[in-house]
Amino acid sequence: MKRRKIFGLGALTAAAALTLAACGSSSGTSSTKTSYNEALTSVVDPSTQTGGTLTYDLSNTPDSTDYQNTYYAFMWDFVRLYSMQLMTYESCPGSCGNTLVPDLATGPGVVSDNGLTWTYHIQPNVHFENGDLVTAQDVKYGIERSYAKDVLPNGPNYYQVLLGDSSYPGPYKSSAGLTSITTPNSTTIQFHLTQPFSDFNYVVAIPQSTPVEPSWDTGKYGGANFQLHPESTGPYEFQSYTLNKQIVLVKNPHWDAATDPQAKQLVDKIVMNLNVNQSQIDNNLVSNFADIDAAGTGVQTAAVRDKLLTNPTYHADADNPINGFARFVYLNEQVIPNVHCREAIEYAANKTTLQNAWGGPVVGGAIASTVMPPNITGYQSFDLYNALSKPTGDIAAAKQQLQLCGQPNGFTTGLAYRSDRVQETNAAQALQAALAQVGIKVTLDGYTSGNYYTDFAGDPSYVHTHDLGLNMGGWGADWPDGYGFLDELSNGNTIATGGGNTNISEINDPTINGLFTKAANGSAAGNLAIWPQIDKDIMSQAAILPMVYQKVLLYRNPNVTNVYVDSYYGMYNYAVLGLK
Amino acid sequence: MAAPLDVSPVGAESAPEAVTTGLSGLRIEGRSLGQIAWLRLRRDKVAMGSAVFIVFLILVAVLGPLLVQNPDVYHANLINSTLQGPNGAFGGISLAHPLGVEPGTGRDMLARVVDGAWVSLLIGFLSTLVAVVLGVLFGLIAGFFGGWVDTLIARVMDVVLAFPLLVFALALVGVIPQTAFGLSGNKLRITMLVFIIGFFAWPYMGRIIRGQTLSLREREFVDAARSLGARGPYILFRELLPNLWGPILVYATLLIPTNIIFEASLSYLGVGIIPPQPSWGVMLSDAVQNDIFYIDPMYMVIPGMAIFLTVMAFNLFGDGLRDALDPKTT
Repeated sequence: MKRRKIFGLGALTAAAALTLAACGSSSGTSSTKTSYNEALTSVVDPSTQTGGTLTYDLSNTPDSTDYQNTYYAFMWDFVRLYSMQLMTYESCPGSCGNTLVPDLATGPGVVSDNGLTWTYHIQPNVHFENGDLVTAQDVKYGIERSYAKDVLPNGPNYYQVLLGDSSYPGPYKSSAGLTSITTPNSTTIQFHLTQPFSDFNYVVAIPQSTPVEPSWDTGKYGGANFQLHPESTGPYEFQSYTLNKQIVLVKNPHWDAATDPQAKQLVDKIVMNLNVNQSQIDNNLVSNFADIDAAGTGVQTAAVRDKLLTNPTYHADADNPINGFARFVYLNEQVIPNVHCREAIEYAANKTTLQNAWGGPVVGGAIASTVMPPNITGYQSFDLYNALSKPTGDIAAAKQQLQLCGQPNGFTTGLAYRSDRVQETNAAQALQAALAQVGIKVTLDGYTSGNYYTDFAGDPSYVHTHDLGLNMGGWGADWPDGYGFLDELSNGNTIATGGGNTNISEINDPTINGLFTKAANGSAAGNLAIWPQIDKDIMSQAAILPMVYQKVLLYRNPNVTNVYVDSYYGMYNYAVLGLK
Repeated sequence: MAAPLDVSPVGAESAPEAVTTGLSGLRIEGRSLGQIAWLRLRRDKVAMGSAVFIVFLILVAVLGPLLVQNPDVYHANLINSTLQGPNGAFGGISLAHPLGVEPGTGRDMLARVVDGAWVSLLIGFLSTLVAVVLGVLFGLIAGFFGGWVDTLIARVMDVVLAFPLLVFALALVGVIPQTAFGLSGNKLRITMLVFIIGFFAWPYMGRIIRGQTLSLREREFVDAARSLGARGPYILFRELLPNLWGPILVYATLLIPTNIIFEASLSYLGVGIIPPQPSWGVMLSDAVQNDIFYIDPMYMVIPGMAIFLTVMAFNLFGDGLRDALDPKTT
């Protein structure tokens, strides 16, 4: 029923777009010539001009606008407009965007000799939107809020795991406060870890480390209602938030550009419209009714994609970045224990039809030959199964592996996928057709996406009893380095038996486990050599069949200035945009 | 003012039984009701055309998959790599692919439409059979026995009719396991669809049969049978049922297209057939995803036309059948 409505609106808005195309293009070609993919490597239309209202459209709603309670990638990008964290990603185009720089802190964390204590000093002259000075105690309070999972359930759980105090119920139920975080004075904060963790700077770059005054988190804007007006430390503050409808941000008068060089305060007002029909958003963008699709997943409607790819005027204002998300088939090592049988699947898979199932090389993604996508720090290109040299599948090599595996005529296995997701269903069919060529018979087992990871593909006992040798899934990292991307996929200690398992291949390899331990005790620079090694180990035991590094087709509105793709998020950096 | 009692021997009254026209010169003979209906039906060109088309469809569904190419073979070279639409005009129509190819995969459209025919027809026929059996049984019982039996069955029919059937079917198909009743995969899906659709369609049939039975049971031949000592079941199945074949046949024919559309809408909503088995509803649903029909309208037109023609043929044939069996209601 709902789909029918979308279909009707789509036709309607397409008609509107046709009639409005003329005014859209005339206002858009006023400045210097731009080019396709320009925003991947450089800042398009750099400008210091101020004023105007920047409009975002979103097809659904944020999980929360509370920085301690959001796990959506685009919200992590967006909250930088009204918050500062201890660390953040440098605001610059290209791979430089993966660099961590101090934000609220004066420098990267200093780790003690035993690797267990991380110390940050915060800038002494940063103010909240009400004029109060930001203290280390406010940072600690913000992190304490993120423990109150009964009120704020959405964010990740890294502090609970690393600080070893997952029983702390958060500040609403306990006035004691965390003992694992100490504040010797108002500008110093110390984290006491239970085991060394070299990537801790990435953890404090997650929006959960935003400072909050306990006095703000009570009454009208307390607890769950905090998201209606999150206390701002960034260039903008909330003017209004009508749930399910619209968010309006205005300039924060107490923000100082000198203390927050990674964000800009150019436009006067920022509006985010919620629950806008996706095809309406796509048409709004190309006809200048909206500036940015907040979700950052790119243009979805075929008609607008067609326009961006074939019309030279629009083509010059489109970008096609890799967004850090990867599409995998997990080959379960318990269900298909013989490595040669798994290698046969790696060779036989037709990477071109799989890529087409995801939408082709532009809106689907680039053919993948490694577990880590190229925008992750530590990525190294290699091609063990000729995914790049023989993209339609290496049938001869596959047959050879089947011989070695002792199943020269192929075998039968199940493939789990989410049947309510069109592209995943297409990919499942493409894989089934490709593997049939070497005699591997795949039975398709479709599940609903709601409980896919809790009850089916993410429950090892279900996978074993239902012979699910192949399991479709997608993966994105919480921070852009090898640990953030690979740990949950391949560290033996992440296999969860009760459901919610992320190591769906059930990789439990002493070499890989050892490398993760080594990395946790090492340094960020030294670990650069470890990530490609783990990637190669996973691929050489054929535990994961990577299909595509996902790509999105973004439209860069010609009215917007300072536009570039943030390498980690694979979407525009929302913290620095201005208007002509 | 025209003569109110115009008795000139022209017009309809000269041929009180229109059945005999076109048969002049032949020997006049007595015809049974069935023969008369068959003559009327044969003379209805639209109904006969529909019947021919239905026979053709059944042949396509049964034999077609043997004649066309493999519907699951990918032709990645036939689609445009950036936009994923078929190369060439009208969805990539060519000699090798008379109805073009599927966007995104390059699978042959003719093969997929033909391979999808048996799904629609099988579900359409079988679910109608379920509906007819249930509807006739309960309709006869309710109409003949009357009283509290009638009240009970009629209220149950009201409840089923008032049920939000699409929501219910969605929920039910969503929770069925991978294997049940010794069946799995598409066999299980089709069985479930047949029973779900049949279960929601029987009250329509039931109400009509009940109404007809109510009037028939007061007729003399029923009284005669009763006075000769006949009991309930005998009267129901030997005296009443033969007189109900007309409406049963007509409404069954009209129920088939409704059920085909219901199957298509369930498949369209993603709870129908498991891929890669094509079905017309699944193809339509794919075409609407992300507005793919903008770049390849044929992907929507072809399965849409298949559903349209099938449904129209059954409807027109059903209309013709009703005209032939029961000219009064025209």
